[in-house]
Amino acid sequence: MRELIGLIPLIPLLSSATLMLFAGHLSRFAIGLLGVGSVGIAAILTAKMGIDFLGNPEVFKVTLWTWMQVGTFSSDVAFYFDGLTLVMMSVITGVGFLIHLFSTEFMEEDVSYARYFAYLNMFVAAMLILVMADNLLLLYLGWEGVGVCSYLLVGFWYQNSANGYAARKAFIVTRIGDTLMALGLFLLFTELGTLDIQALGDAAKDKWQVGDSMPLIACLLILGGAVGKSAQLPLHTWLPDAMAGPTPVSALIHAATMVTAGVYLIARTHELYLFAPIAMIAVALVGLATSLMAAFTALTQHDIKRILAYSTISQIGYMFLALGVGAWTAGIFHLMTHAFFKALLFLGSGAIIHCLHHEHNIFKMGGLRTRMPVTFWSFMIGSAALAALPMTSGFFSKDQILLQAYQVDGIGPWLWFGGLVGALLTAVYSFRLVFVVFFGQVNTEPDKDTGWRMVIPLSLLCILAMMGGWIIIPVTQVFPLAVFEHPAHWVEYVSIAVPIVGVIIAYLIFLGGQLKVDVFTNSFVMQKLQQFWFSGWRIDWLYDQLLVRPYYGLARALKLEPVDNFYRLVVTISQTFNQWLSAGQSGQMRRYITSMVFGLIVLLAILVRAS
Amino acid sequence: MENQYANEIWPLAIYFGMVIMLVVTMLALSWVLGQKRREAATNDPFESGVVSVGGSQIRISVEFYLVAIFFVIFDLETLFIFAWAVAFFELGWAGYLSITVFIGVLVLALVYQCRSGALEWGNKTRTGLREDQLTTGEST
Amino acid sequence: MNGSQMQALMPILMLSLTAIVLMIQASIKRDEKATWIITVVGILLALWGAGYARDFSQPVTILLQVDNWGLFFTALVLLASLVTVVLSQDSFSSEGGSKEEYYLLLVLSALGAVILIQSSHMASLLLGMELMGVALYAMIAFPKKGLLPLEAAVKYLVLSGCASAILLFGFALLYAATGELSYKGIGEKAALAYISNPLLVMAGTAMVTAGIAFKLSLVPFHMWTPDVYQGAPTPVTGFLATVSKGAVFVALARIYMDAELHQYESLILALSVLAAFSMLIGNLLALLQEDIKRLLAYSSIAHFGYLLIVLIALTGSEMASEAVTFYLAAYILTTLGAFTVIARVSREDQQKSQISEFEGLFWRNKIQATALTIAMLSFAGIPLTAGFMAKFFVINVAIQGSHWFLLSALVIGSAIGIYYYLRIIFSMSKTSGNDIGFRDRSGDITALLLTVLILMLGSWPQPFIAFAGGL
Repeated sequence: MRELIGLIPLIPLLSSATLMLFAGHLSRFAIGLLGVGSVGIAAILTAKMGIDFLGNPEVFKVTLWTWMQVGTFSSDVAFYFDGLTLVMMSVITGVGFLIHLFSTEFMEEDVSYARYFAYLNMFVAAMLILVMADNLLLLYLGWEGVGVCSYLLVGFWYQNSANGYAARKAFIVTRIGDTLMALGLFLLFTELGTLDIQALGDAAKDKWQVGDSMPLIACLLILGGAVGKSAQLPLHTWLPDAMAGPTPVSALIHAATMVTAGVYLIARTHELYLFAPIAMIAVALVGLATSLMAAFTALTQHDIKRILAYSTISQIGYMFLALGVGAWTAGIFHLMTHAFFKALLFLGSGAIIHCLHHEHNIFKMGGLRTRMPVTFWSFMIGSAALAALPMTSGFFSKDQILLQAYQVDGIGPWLWFGGLVGALLTAVYSFRLVFVVFFGQVNTEPDKDTGWRMVIPLSLLCILAMMGGWIIIPVTQVFPLAVFEHPAHWVEYVSIAVPIVGVIIAYLIFLGGQLKVDVFTNSFVMQKLQQFWFSGWRIDWLYDQLLVRPYYGLARALKLEPVDNFYRLVVTISQTFNQWLSAGQSGQMRRYITSMVFGLIVLLAILVRAS
Repeated sequence: MENQYANEIWPLAIYFGMVIMLVVTMLALSWVLGQKRREAATNDPFESGVVSVGGSQIRISVEFYLVAIFFVIFDLETLFIFAWAVAFFELGWAGYLSITVFIGVLVLALVYQCRSGALEWGNKTRTGLREDQLTTGEST
Repeated sequence: MNGSQMQALMPILMLSLTAIVLMIQASIKRDEKATWIITVVGILLALWGAGYARDFSQPVTILLQVDNWGLFFTALVLLASLVTVVLSQDSFSSEGGSKEEYYLLLVLSALGAVILIQSSHMASLLLGMELMGVALYAMIAFPKKGLLPLEAAVKYLVLSGCASAILLFGFALLYAATGELSYKGIGEKAALAYISNPLLVMAGTAMVTAGIAFKLSLVPFHMWTPDVYQGAPTPVTGFLATVSKGAVFVALARIYMDAELHQYESLILALSVLAAFSMLIGNLLALLQEDIKRLLAYSSIAHFGYLLIVLIALTGSEMASEAVTFYLAAYILTTLGAFTVIARVSREDQQKSQISEFEGLFWRNKIQATALTIAMLSFAGIPLTAGFMAKFFVINVAIQGSHWFLLSALVIGSAIGIYYYLRIIFSMSKTSGNDIGFRDRSGDITALLLTVLILMLGSWPQPFIAFAGGL
């Protein structure tokens, strides 16, 4: 059974290859069957492995073959299976399967149906390799693989050049992080002599002391990679633009799985982070800052997918916060629940967009509660979980994060307070979305309702988003036990109360209308602030000024080929001299004699001068 | 050193200056004193009182030059024989041998000249030329 | 003069004898074929004489110096004359349709060159130079057709006359200063004369240098070169480029060494200026030249600039004399190779020396196209050719003497040079449409032999270097 673990990424990969090679020969039904079925089989296999593991929690490793061997360096294609892997694989294959199923309806009118599933299956395979990899090199292969798939899928509708631009942006911005991560890998290899994740932990124990500079540098470099992939400050700018891709892609790649790869990477290498407390604090601060920044931005957006995108950035910020404070389990737990409810929200928004002629602006929606009941309830549940209302899955995970953040020495209460502000904002913007889209008057009439292939994934995800909090993830072997000391009760009460307050505020402003904030929001300062938040804190503008424009300027300068110009100048000079001198060769003897006399005078001058 | 050259050069400079002055003076005097008439014959060259006829660039037969050059060459060669003759006894047999070779070569050259028609005036009977190539004077 | 001295003069005697026999033959019965054979035999005899005279190396009177170095160049000059004779056989016709006198002139010119090479006295230098030059004027003007040869001959005659006058004036000044005319005599007295009367010595040296620079066509005495190269019949151009220039350079080297002129820094400066300008201006002038003969004229200007470097660095390097020998040999062989092909392709037609005439030569005559390619590569100094080794020697010598300024001029010049040498090769590999092959046995054989020599000198130079070192 254990050897079959290799099949889990292989089946989607083969399916992807088949779809690419034989796209023209397959019916749409066959394509759908292949695309969804392959992920389904992977999900079933994962479930089987999970059941076995829960019955007999034994970590194992399967080496398929030696990938490369250079000198003392050798890298195997080997899969490592423990509780963390299981959680990630379950999310990828389970949620992935539901999203694939949803896609068959969402994309049914698209001409590039086969290409879509080929990319999506390849993504699943790459993501599985990423989480199953036993060494960082194989992980990096998966890491780059998902990056490529993300690029291909964001730019899926490449006929529109804006989509191509968004795809390039996503790829290039994440590459910055990838490069840092590659540097981190090189550093780890030169320092510790291996890239096997388990061996790295052991080697680190031998060679490093807590607080050394080397683990700090390595961890910060890895954090760079994680920040790029997980769209955290300062490399988050690609994610909102990545919404140009099909909505199920946003659900799978840009909400549930790929963007959480950074969280997974840090959790996977947590043994190294334990040697670098400063790096951990950096992780926490990056997470908190991102979370707040994105929450403010989400508050002002009116594109439904951009709201969700900023929400995703914000929630991953929470995960980083959790990792930074050492709440590994809570971080991964939030990763899982977030995958459930955010996939639910994205698929719900996909359903709306699908039924509303690709309308993205929430203020052109409204009153959809009665028109699309299934979607409405999906959104209600998803938003409740996102806002962490009690008893939803998000409540359990976020509550754990906040409580553990509170317990950090020194800055703990501040982190907790920051997280709390974020939670309040989350509740406000998520219910703003619900109230604007589903209540009020109908602005756009949907032309169809959701079919069964959309309803089933939505329903299942609703259940997961509600009940997911009761799952106990089997990661006790993976992470060190957190010394969990229950804080004062008021802390917990406040944590529970804040999201409810947020929902009430949202109700009062956007639905009830009792809270008149127009005067406040129309003031000059607030207008400016709103614009500032809406533009994503003008970070895109900043990067444009700092990096993109200078780069374009340089590119333009180089396009003129300055180096070539130098050589052209040499040619021109030579030719000019040639013409001047040739003009002297007039064929007239008097000139020739003049030249001779001139030469004689020069010679005489030189020779006689010295004497 | 510099002074020395300056000393050597100043007579030359004065001489140069005097030459220039002389020329300028002569031209200036003739310009001041001379008649300023422009008539038909003013710009004609003075040919011993005779009015000049024809262009200055007339063709002269190449044979004139050939004969002139041959005269110069052979005249020069006799100078060498003269030089040998005055030292006849001092040079002895070695000198005699040398001048024999010299005169021999000279004779050979003369034979070659005659045979290749260099000394003929008008009709060419150069060796090796076919009958139709022998010119009859007017074209050379 | 004794018997041993006569034996030492064997090449000169053989050439003189050939000239006399040719004269007799022409006066008895004109026959171009017979004349040609006599000329070839005479030059071969002179070549034998050059080998024979090696055992009798000695100064012959005050005028001539017979030594191995001179005899080597005598042989080289005779070889070049032989190639010229072969090429001239059916290249152009004279006024009367036959060209017995042409061969006579060629032999006389070669005789002048040999005297020039072996001279050790200003008188014999002038004698050799004028004998060579006067015969050359006539050779240049020999073809019946076209005005270009005549123009070339007149220009060369007049300008050469000017140069000779300057040269003679230089001799006079040197004689006034030192009271000597033999190279060694001048060398012994000049140092003393320099102290008492530097102006005279230096002015004389400058004028002698100018006169010789004209014959070597160094900038700015180079203006005549393209016109004469272009106007002269191609075999004569080859003769002028190899025999005349080679012999004059040997004479210059002799003066330079025997008269110990390298001790005057201002002279070295003057030569450096000449060399640098020759390298740069020669190559620049050749850059866009469309006529291959004019192009080679400019190229020869540059090559003598390179050669001057060796002379300038003479004292700073042990390799210098070998470098002169090697470079001159490589230059003469390469130039002969190039002019062989040009002569065969263009024949007597003046218009046919355009580069475009060489298009498709690879399809017309593979052997000659290859020979021209090798010659061009050798001129450019591409490895495995004689030109590469030669340039290698020059650069080596320049580095040893720390002449960085000249070295940079050499590098820039060579870089420009590659452009126009390769242009000819490209042009040959272009198809011109009607590539009718032509067969030409004597041309093929000559070209092939010269190519083999060029390649041997470039790829396996050790025996020759050892030989040159022993001269």
